[in-house]
Amino acid sequence: MNWPAFWLSLQVTALATCGIFVIGLPIAIWLARVKFPGQTLVETALMLPLVLPPSVVGYYLLLALGRGSPLVEWFQIRILFSWPAAVVAAVVVGLPLMIQSSKAALANVDLRLEQAARTLGASELRIFLRITLPLARRGIIAGIVLGGARALGEFGATLMVTGNIPGRTQTLPVAIYDAVQAQRYADAHLMVLVMTAIAFVGLWWVRQLERARPLRSSPVVTEQGEEDATAFAR
Amino acid sequence: MQPRLRVELRRRLDQLQLDIRFEMGSEILVLFGPSGAGKTQTLQAIAGLMTPDEGLICLNDTILFRRQSGSPAINLPPRRRRIGYVFQHNALFPHMTALDNVAFPLGNGAQARRRAYDLLERMHLAHLAWRKPHELSGGQQQRVAIARALATESPVILFDESFSALDQPVRDRLHADLRALQAERDLVVIYVTHNLNDAFAIGHRIAIVREGRIEQIGSLPEVCRYPINVRVAQLLGLTNIIRARVIRRDLEGVWLDWQGWQIAAALPAQPPTPGTVVTAFIRPEEIRLVYPDRPLHRFAGHNLLPGRIIERRPGWRLYYLQVAVGETALEIAHPYAAYADLETGLGCHVQIGFRPESVIIIPDGGTTEASAQVADHPSLCHRA
Repeated sequence: MNWPAFWLSLQVTALATCGIFVIGLPIAIWLARVKFPGQTLVETALMLPLVLPPSVVGYYLLLALGRGSPLVEWFQIRILFSWPAAVVAAVVVGLPLMIQSSKAALANVDLRLEQAARTLGASELRIFLRITLPLARRGIIAGIVLGGARALGEFGATLMVTGNIPGRTQTLPVAIYDAVQAQRYADAHLMVLVMTAIAFVGLWWVRQLERARPLRSSPVVTEQGEEDATAFAR
Repeated sequence: MQPRLRVELRRRLDQLQLDIRFEMGSEILVLFGPSGAGKTQTLQAIAGLMTPDEGLICLNDTILFRRQSGSPAINLPPRRRRIGYVFQHNALFPHMTALDNVAFPLGNGAQARRRAYDLLERMHLAHLAWRKPHELSGGQQQRVAIARALATESPVILFDESFSALDQPVRDRLHADLRALQAERDLVVIYVTHNLNDAFAIGHRIAIVREGRIEQIGSLPEVCRYPINVRVAQLLGLTNIIRARVIRRDLEGVWLDWQGWQIAAALPAQPPTPGTVVTAFIRPEEIRLVYPDRPLHRFAGHNLLPGRIIERRPGWRLYYLQVAVGETALEIAHPYAAYADLETGLGCHVQIGFRPESVIIIPDGGTTEASAQVADHPSLCHRA
């Protein structure tokens, strides 16, 4: 088992998942709620990383992060061939899943509920936090999990932008590839097993979320409500 | 202080031109009309969910909306208006308990929850405060929705066909509760429905809405007794609408020529000029069959017409007869136990009678459109 690669993979996945959430949610809200010309074009472009070969994504990332790109020339961000580049690659490939899932969930929230909340004196922010977000919660979480799982499994683009330096930029999927190339099958077996287990748990969780009754809120909220209520009923 | 709501709005919509104006105080006003007449849009404009092209909406001295030439425009957003709005499908927040739903407009904290609990108690739902909306029956959901609307502290509550999906007994109870609530809190209630039974069960006044305009507004008995034009009469489902020529009028009434018979009618507020053709209606309940072998009542001395029974139909409360009179047919409704000694089988010849006061002359809009519609009316097309 290649522990440095395992830990690096976890680190990259954790950061990438945060990135997917922070970047993906606003885009999903924007796409679900605002109608604008060229919307289909934007949505198609955002879905591209799902179907493009990883090498193509990697090539674009090399262009974006390499010498001559505005990122490097103006902002002095040099992350090519270091582990943050793996985070960028993971975010790019995980984002479409997050956007797709969250957008569908947000578009599904009944606009009349938001109208009702408006007549009840709620600000737009409060409506979003108390009505829209909780009702779209399941789809958003599913998006995060799927995006995170995709980030964990990212291989091709990562290989191109991180340079596969063992112990420094080598993630678990890349390490598996290396192990197989070097015919270290025992190593590969274990790592493959770990990857499969993580992916399985992630997908299973998403399925559970989708199967849960659509109108039910999470048990945490209910318990809280009951606690509060008995508190003043006493 | 008595609340006062003034509404004046115009808005061009896809299918119709909305042009609504009315004023009301602490009362229940029913907006009655066919679907697509602009009732819901009127409520939305008051709540701030729809912006009129121009108009003025005031609650007491507060201007909720103003867009008129000559004065600066005002358009308070819905959250600043805080008008209680009970939606058609209640629009409760499905992820919150009944209590949280009611507490939503009150903010957070124990104080808000206590107030919400009191409101649920007022709606007889305290024992269900911790249920989610999907664990409540339709009537209970609407009660929660009413409690939530009350929590806005708004003196105005709008009901948009809110009870239309409920069973009649549940609806009756809600209507009774709503009337009590309105009186208790001096609320300004606007209740949208296309069900005349509901209108009578709840309303103090009724506004007949048709194609984006209020045709007539007034107390329920007044509007149903004296519809202002034929369109209102038809929306109210009035039958036995007849066209007759005015022969003469005197201090007591008007004499009409209907298919060659002389009919006495009560004097309307605007007496028609002799020679003109007027539209009138006679309620089916107010037409009687006359026993040939019994003395006539005082009122039955007028308006005796020969007829032939062409249809018999049992109704929910009354028995309905179609009687061919001359070229047309009149509908007669009578209690089940009436006319036991009279031959009322199909094809029987009978004599009918009605009081002059039962013949209500509808003020004619003078439009040819109105007369064209009368010609389409089933009770006139019905031939013997």
